[in-house]
Amino acid sequence: MKTKQTIPPARLSKRKSSAYRVYALMVRHALPMKRDFDLLSDMLYWPLMDTITWGIASSWLAGSDSTVGSAVLSILIALVIWNVIWRAQSEVSRNLIDEIWNNNLVNVFSTALTLREWMLSVLLQSFLKMFISAGFVSLVILGLYAVNVYQIGWWLVPFTVNATLTGWSVGFVAAALVIRYGQKVQTVVWTLPGALFPLSAVYFPVDQLPVGLRQISQLVPTTYIFESMRSLLFTGTLDLQMLWLSFGLNAIYIVLALWFFVRMFRKSKELNLARFSN
Amino acid sequence: MNDIVKVKNLRKVYPGPKRGAAEVVAVEDASFSIREGEILGLLGPNGAGKSTIISMLLGVLTPTSGTVSIFGSDLHTYHSEIMQHVTFASTYVRMPWRLTVIENLRVFGLLYGQSKAEFMERAQELLTFFGVWNQRNKTMSQLSAGQVTRVMLAKAFIPDPKIVLLDEPTASLDPDIAHQVRTFVLGQQKKHKTTILYTSHNMDEVTEVCDRVIFLRQGKIMAEDTPENLANSISDTEMVLTVANTEERKSLIALAQKGGYKTQATGKDVLIQIEEIHISELLTTVGKQKIHYSHITVQQPTLEQYFLQMSNQKHEN
Repeated sequence: MKTKQTIPPARLSKRKSSAYRVYALMVRHALPMKRDFDLLSDMLYWPLMDTITWGIASSWLAGSDSTVGSAVLSILIALVIWNVIWRAQSEVSRNLIDEIWNNNLVNVFSTALTLREWMLSVLLQSFLKMFISAGFVSLVILGLYAVNVYQIGWWLVPFTVNATLTGWSVGFVAAALVIRYGQKVQTVVWTLPGALFPLSAVYFPVDQLPVGLRQISQLVPTTYIFESMRSLLFTGTLDLQMLWLSFGLNAIYIVLALWFFVRMFRKSKELNLARFSN
Repeated sequence: MNDIVKVKNLRKVYPGPKRGAAEVVAVEDASFSIREGEILGLLGPNGAGKSTIISMLLGVLTPTSGTVSIFGSDLHTYHSEIMQHVTFASTYVRMPWRLTVIENLRVFGLLYGQSKAEFMERAQELLTFFGVWNQRNKTMSQLSAGQVTRVMLAKAFIPDPKIVLLDEPTASLDPDIAHQVRTFVLGQQKKHKTTILYTSHNMDEVTEVCDRVIFLRQGKIMAEDTPENLANSISDTEMVLTVANTEERKSLIALAQKGGYKTQATGKDVLIQIEEIHISELLTTVGKQKIHYSHITVQQPTLEQYFLQMSNQKHEN
């Protein structure tokens, strides 16, 4: 006699099961770090090298001229903020490409894991690693150059929030291209944020850019972060309009980036996620 | 018994490789079901659509049309709820090579909501059974191909799933380990009523393990039956009698041909193609006619013969 079928009960409640799955992916990406230098180096070593290089260069340029002190500080703070952007995007895009490299994509997405849970997991990982990396760089700057990047006070919070949003937008765009086109476009994981670097006027004012690039730069949310940061350091005042503009652009871009990623993921499923398996 | 998996009119069409190129139909109107506790074999030559069907059952490939329902619920709508009870292992998929065996399995345990205690008990049981418990702290990159396959199998059974999809689970395994795996799979079916979808290129293995088999060719289901029935459908049993005496041999051939059976004589051996149920009747008549044979062999048709015949039909077509 046939009985009406229902899906068997799960081990845990819906919410707890979801939390376990998000946690599982965090564990999956955290565990290799204890034995692989290249993963740790990405988070700590290269930021350390950048800090040493830029710190020494800017200190040498400053010499004993105290008026240039703010310029040095702006470079060092910019270093921390850029690290936030890089870390934020890196965890999103690299997380996905790592699954493809490891031939693990089908293993992950053939479970009960939803796309929303995967996205939440990468954002949490990005947040954690971003804090670790930025905190590390800040301590190195304090130790090597006796400069406290936190002296700009609570303004560091909106700078960091905006930087994170930009990073996530770039990360999801890169991830979207990777999930759709695979390893042949994996270079976007590094080139896409790289393209943002000069356009964001990270270490110099926007008016130093060529005219054509200046106009493009105005569409980049991070430009306003670095400009307002420099304005705060050099003049003591912060143009709130620039911060709101940055936030507004970020809000638009993160929505577009998430929409693009979900769309590309669905397209990739039409072509079969298993096509990335060897 | 309920049909736990129901596939109805499943179709998958890929766009052509280049603009303007013809579409590729990977699966054409596939309909089948799997009963609870059944082991269903999925057979077919390379490119027949087996992996495509498995991908659609896992939800990593969106069908062009058709439906898949598991536990009476649509897979697309209830993917997360359903997949808490479904696992798979494939020879074509690996696990993160930087993680150790136990770390990888723990991640999957967490994905299926297993507590640490439950996981450790199950992991030890499975890894010990598959002979890789001593490798548990080695990274996947340090394992041999056979060891990786066994760990993948352990991963599939770690969360005590209701349904398991096994894609060539014994590929790259030594014969004794492969036998162990088959014993384990049959044990899971018997003890836990686990429903299993099984693909393999080893026809003897499929015959041993599977209750029923679906044969696919060019994206279409060509046949669906037990392994024995499929094998019997393409040829009769072959019986070879060794008859030393020439006259007796001629009598045997005449007797067989009178019964409508095909015969072929090679030296002292007479090969007769005969349905299994008529063997005893023929041998009784052979005895009554005093035809003496020194040796007899009976070879039943195999699934491999069926596979070869069906695959060759594809090439001929």
